[in-house]
Amino acid sequence: MRTKWKRTLLTLVAGSLVVSVAACSEEGADPGSGVNLDGKKTASMADYKAGAQFKATEPVDVGVLYLDQSHYPIKDDWLLWKEITQRTNVTIKPTVVPYSDYDQKRGLLISSGDAPTIISKTYPGQEEQFVSSGAILPVSDYIDLMPHFKDKVERWKLQPELNTLRQEDGKFYVLPGMHEKVWQDYTLAFRTDELKRLNLEAPKDWDEVYTVLKAIKAANPDSYPLSDRFEAKSILNYAGQTFGTQAGWGYVRNTIWNESAQKYEFTGATPEYKELIEYFHKLVAEGLMDPESFTQKDDAAIQKFASGKSFAISSNAQNIVNDYRPNVSKIPGATVAKIPLPAGPKGNVIRGSRLESGLMVSAKAVESDKFVATMQFIDWLWYSDEAQEFTKWGVKGTTYDKDSSGKRTLKPEVAFGGMNVGAPKNLQRDFGFQGGVFYYGGATELLQSMFTEEEVAFQKTMADKKVEALPPPAPLNEDERERAALLESPLKDFVTQSTLQFILGQRDLSTWDAYVKELEAKGSNDLVELVNGAHKRYKEKNG
Amino acid sequence: MVTTDPTLLMERIDKPVGARRTSLDDSRGYRVFRVVNVVVLLGVVAVTLYPFVNIVAQSFSSELYIRTGQVNLVPRGFNLDTYKLVASDSAFWNSYLNTVVYTVTATAISIVLTTIYAYVLSKHRLKGRGLLVGIAVFTMFFNGGLIPNYVLVNGLGMTNTIWAIVLPNAISVFNLLVMKAFFESLPAELEEAAAIDGLNTYGILLRIVLPLSKAVLATMILFYAVANWNSWFQAFLYLDRADLFPVTVYLRNMIAGATSATSVGAVETNAVAISANIKAVTMVLTVLPIVAVYPFIQRYFVSGVMLGAVKQ
Repeated sequence: MRTKWKRTLLTLVAGSLVVSVAACSEEGADPGSGVNLDGKKTASMADYKAGAQFKATEPVDVGVLYLDQSHYPIKDDWLLWKEITQRTNVTIKPTVVPYSDYDQKRGLLISSGDAPTIISKTYPGQEEQFVSSGAILPVSDYIDLMPHFKDKVERWKLQPELNTLRQEDGKFYVLPGMHEKVWQDYTLAFRTDELKRLNLEAPKDWDEVYTVLKAIKAANPDSYPLSDRFEAKSILNYAGQTFGTQAGWGYVRNTIWNESAQKYEFTGATPEYKELIEYFHKLVAEGLMDPESFTQKDDAAIQKFASGKSFAISSNAQNIVNDYRPNVSKIPGATVAKIPLPAGPKGNVIRGSRLESGLMVSAKAVESDKFVATMQFIDWLWYSDEAQEFTKWGVKGTTYDKDSSGKRTLKPEVAFGGMNVGAPKNLQRDFGFQGGVFYYGGATELLQSMFTEEEVAFQKTMADKKVEALPPPAPLNEDERERAALLESPLKDFVTQSTLQFILGQRDLSTWDAYVKELEAKGSNDLVELVNGAHKRYKEKNG
Repeated sequence: MVTTDPTLLMERIDKPVGARRTSLDDSRGYRVFRVVNVVVLLGVVAVTLYPFVNIVAQSFSSELYIRTGQVNLVPRGFNLDTYKLVASDSAFWNSYLNTVVYTVTATAISIVLTTIYAYVLSKHRLKGRGLLVGIAVFTMFFNGGLIPNYVLVNGLGMTNTIWAIVLPNAISVFNLLVMKAFFESLPAELEEAAAIDGLNTYGILLRIVLPLSKAVLATMILFYAVANWNSWFQAFLYLDRADLFPVTVYLRNMIAGATSATSVGAVETNAVAISANIKAVTMVLTVLPIVAVYPFIQRYFVSGVMLGAVKQ
């Protein structure tokens, strides 16, 4: 319901975008790739390079679209603001938008031409709807102003990932958050005491998951051993990658790259997708997985797990600590742990991008005489190692200490996550660090520096996994995007709906061929053709 | 426990009560209707009251019982700590205060504007009356749309001020028409008499018409106040500073943050879900004033909804 409503709004926004911003894009001439930065260097540093501390030569104000989370509401007196200004001579002027409706307000502000300079918290792909309006800066033209960004791309070999961001004009419009390694957070969590009681090993692949669930079912005939949350979109996502397909949260586009055939195919019609559906259908049909997993609210799933009615549930590192452990504590001897992501028919693989939510820059910024300084500031605050440590841990000596081996510890009076529980101050709420707008991605060492030992051990097992290659870029032009948009949603809805029917047994798997025919009737082939055409064109143009 | 079993109720009603079996009220059909009516309405009461009582019970319960789904109508693991916690949150009280200020101001402006407009429209001798009604009704079906509205309000310099909340949509056309119908139903002779006694138009409105319109005014105040208290969308659109947010935006963000901080596959490094009882407490505190005030203006409300329904 909510997404439908959102989609309608987005369509509205996108519609009025064309009208309302067309005028703006005519005024601000397209900077092109040969950019002239004369007269835009006020306050910038002439010798700014990787490893350098950025400090504007005169005070600069930068507007930031700020996503406000209710569990650490924004405060003016955060040390974060003070420290940023002190270090960089830049004062951030936040436009505060509640998390609940961030996407909508972002669309509104961009469309009405009133977006602040930095539009934060934008996931790769979300920028596409704004590209044709000309309201967003093609940041790839200005990467030379960002030495830390370039340095990370080079050191972590992120170029292939960056290429996936390119639009039809070969440029990209979002500065993504970047991880050093692929980070797989979600997997299944099990009641380990039950596994132990039944003499079961933690399953290593999906076949073993099946046998383990079966054994739990045998011992607890009245239970559904697996009753999942996230409407099962999480488990379909992480299981899907090991089956060589995309499902659940991972089903963003309808097309998937087939490496051996070197072309895009329709995801929901591939044999891999069918195999995944068959697997989950088997779980549901044999009573191993709660059919409500696909529809129930998260709270209901947590309740079942916490009251011992189910024994497995999807989890990330926080869910374990926040949702499961405290709530199962009522059951004597109950223990919970994440199992390493099971391997699938595709092998011991994970699929994923190292790109994270990032930021867009308003096209108006380039008209400012402080444009270069602004880009240098963005580069330092979001991409330098120093600033990433700063936005995550705070100020050395004030919020945390670092010993000679590089190990960081929070000051005893500062609490965060599971650290220093009960301390009077909170790193996030009282100091502003660890905020989703400023901190994400970064080096693996930094990322894991706040993990529990358990989670670090889990991540070690994940590091052995083979990371699947990324699909090549296939950016659509405006006309194609419009046609694709008409096809994408109905197809996706139909696939989602049919997936559910197949898994729950409401539709028989023997009708698979008929289902594929129905997809074709809804234009699946046309869509695949569009994407393959775009891929071919991109390849010819950019090699 | 009130019995809702229709057969039991039927039995009770079927027994002759004295000799009064002649009036219309006691006809068989009416008695059947009454039984069905009671049963249906009790069902409606249960359906509407349960979620409310459940939230109140949750607000007094401990997190563990809520998470394990053991809280229904009675608090389990009684605690007041959550109330203390929420009450000590300055951001909550700040937005609460904002809501009060916005609601009072917006309601006052709305009432004044609606009354003036409706009074004018109720006069049949007014030239161009049809056009004025048409202008108002037109906005019920067509409007400029989200972005033009935003550009307009922003262009007027009203963003991040209280005016962005209280001025746009100050007149609800529905309320306007209800009020217009009410004024039309007042006997014209009263006003004529007042005019002969020397009152001018404003005097007639202030001293004769309005004192006779308390019921409709109370209804309008209730309509506007509840709508303003509950509204969040305008505040969300036009306010960019957290210290200006009304409590509805605060609450909405809290509930959304609690339910979906971990969804969308978003990698939040420390997405602490807001605990269920904090949500419940905030909801209870937010609806409290409306719930507290409602019984007192409810009688106006009941008579008010019929206003203008029948024209003499």
